[in-house]
Amino acid sequence: MSERVVDVRGVTVELGERPVVHDVDFHVGAGEVVTLLGANGSGKSTLVRAIVGLIPVASGEISLFGETLRSFHDWRRVGYVPQRTTAAGGVPATVREVVSSGRLAQRRPFLPASRADRAAVERAIELVGLTDRAGDGIHTLSGGQQQRVLIARAAAGDPDILVLDEPNAGVDRRSQEAFARSLRTFVASGRTVLLVLHEMGPLAPLVNRGVVLDGGRIVHDGPVPASAHGHPTTATVHAGAYTHGPGRVPAAGEPHDHPHGDDEEAGPFGWNS
Amino acid sequence: MELLNYDFMQRALLAALLTGLAAPAIGTYLVHRRLALMGDGIGHVALTGVAVGLLTGWAPVWTAVVVAIAGAVTIEVVRSYGKASADVALAMLFYGGIAGGVLITGLAGSSAATLNTYLFGSITTVSTGDLWVIGGLAVVVIAASIGLAPQLFAVCQDEEFARACGIPVRLYSIMIAVMAAVTVAVAMRTVGLLLVSALMVVPVATAMQLTKGFRTTFTLALCLGVVPSLSGVVFSYYVDVAPGASIVVIALAGFILAWPLGTIVRRRVRGRAGGEDPRVTGAHVPTEEHPHEHDEQCGHPAVTHDDHTDYLHDGHLHAAHGKHYDEH
Repeated sequence: MSERVVDVRGVTVELGERPVVHDVDFHVGAGEVVTLLGANGSGKSTLVRAIVGLIPVASGEISLFGETLRSFHDWRRVGYVPQRTTAAGGVPATVREVVSSGRLAQRRPFLPASRADRAAVERAIELVGLTDRAGDGIHTLSGGQQQRVLIARAAAGDPDILVLDEPNAGVDRRSQEAFARSLRTFVASGRTVLLVLHEMGPLAPLVNRGVVLDGGRIVHDGPVPASAHGHPTTATVHAGAYTHGPGRVPAAGEPHDHPHGDDEEAGPFGWNS
Repeated sequence: MELLNYDFMQRALLAALLTGLAAPAIGTYLVHRRLALMGDGIGHVALTGVAVGLLTGWAPVWTAVVVAIAGAVTIEVVRSYGKASADVALAMLFYGGIAGGVLITGLAGSSAATLNTYLFGSITTVSTGDLWVIGGLAVVVIAASIGLAPQLFAVCQDEEFARACGIPVRLYSIMIAVMAAVTVAVAMRTVGLLLVSALMVVPVATAMQLTKGFRTTFTLALCLGVVPSLSGVVFSYYVDVAPGASIVVIALAGFILAWPLGTIVRRRVRGRAGGEDPRVTGAHVPTEEHPHEHDEQCGHPAVTHDDHTDYLHDGHLHAAHGKHYDEH
């Protein structure tokens, strides 16, 4: 096994006294594309937030690039894409301005952006196919395009690993496909990806390994479960895996790109073959 | 311009210029972070600081700075813990600031008229000593808000992402609070403590009507802060009103002018949006899996288009193409 980019050993995470992730062990090797799967509330988002250091672990240890989180300072190697709530703040900001934030780990206070910084920002915008929108306000973009801006922001820092929390939630199929293309380019350069997904969508062919969480525990770690048949552990996954599955009512305020989405036939993990 | 012959007017105009630059500079970050009312709260708390100055005989501008910073840091800490009771705690802090200020002013034997000059500004009371303090503090605020713009922008835009980049978010949050507090103290001689927040927010709101980027909003807001500040002070020279009132009314007038203009600009931008939109490019784009057969009865408005019929669908058109639909 090559270098362990992410190494999670016996980690328990508590949110307000309540344990959400129980004694989890897993790792991501260099160059792998690993997906965390699980129903809502299974602890997958909490786990990645702990991995990027946003919430403390109650016990156990997380290492990035062989260093424990406590001593890890090389944050430029990690590109994090948070779960999208809204990409826009109170003041308008252009796509380029938001993506430029991704270079901050490389920059020093009071110094202007270097030529390399600006070039990296343009490359990242190109990676997600938004070059023609670079000067536009982010609030004028669709939900899927805003998500791509956040991915570009993480990619702008030239990280060695991308950590994405539900990049496809509430994103139309065309943006999902654009995202899959960008990710393929990123992976082709030998870099590592850790994804939290609700449904695989067009990403399925890219993923090497699936880690399924249920109730804060890992119930499967290996090839991505292909179907629900004869696989009891993934049944719970599938219950929550259909973004467009029958019986799932979009929460209030949740972006919902397709008016007939609820009738749509979805295969396992929402992947329409 | 005979008014420039008066020393007090020169000082007042200089103070107004510095205030007009510093207030929208920090205000842009506050608005971006959706903390537009923070300046208001700090202004209330700073009143107690002024009163302490009146009571002790120390320069009120310094006591206001100290108390405002203490208040702002308290607000930031309470906010960052995000407890449900935080807004009530903050409200009590604000009331305490006003009440404490009026009470201590009374104990100091100062009149309500003295207090008024701090609440709404006064063009005749900027002393040379005040001007040095105002100038020094304003320059620090402006330099920090320009020099640290990328960091402050990231923290205000997406706190979580900034933390994952290794940026010391708590430090920058406190810095924003302290800069806001310093600006309140800088502005209290021109717009006054009760209206300082308006000068932080209104120029930004006006600029936002006309811009699509953060940097352009920031720059335009600075211009839109300076113009009302200077003209408000001049207006107060001719008509004997508190400069705070005239500055804010002029700033608001600017907003009322910019608003319809912004609506027109936004409508035009929306028309241009969608570079990869098949309506614009004419590309062959199949729709996603479409479970629905469009026909005359389906309720989607039908549009005849050359040799076939399109169905209006969520703002775009679907056209039957073999087994799937195309986006038009």
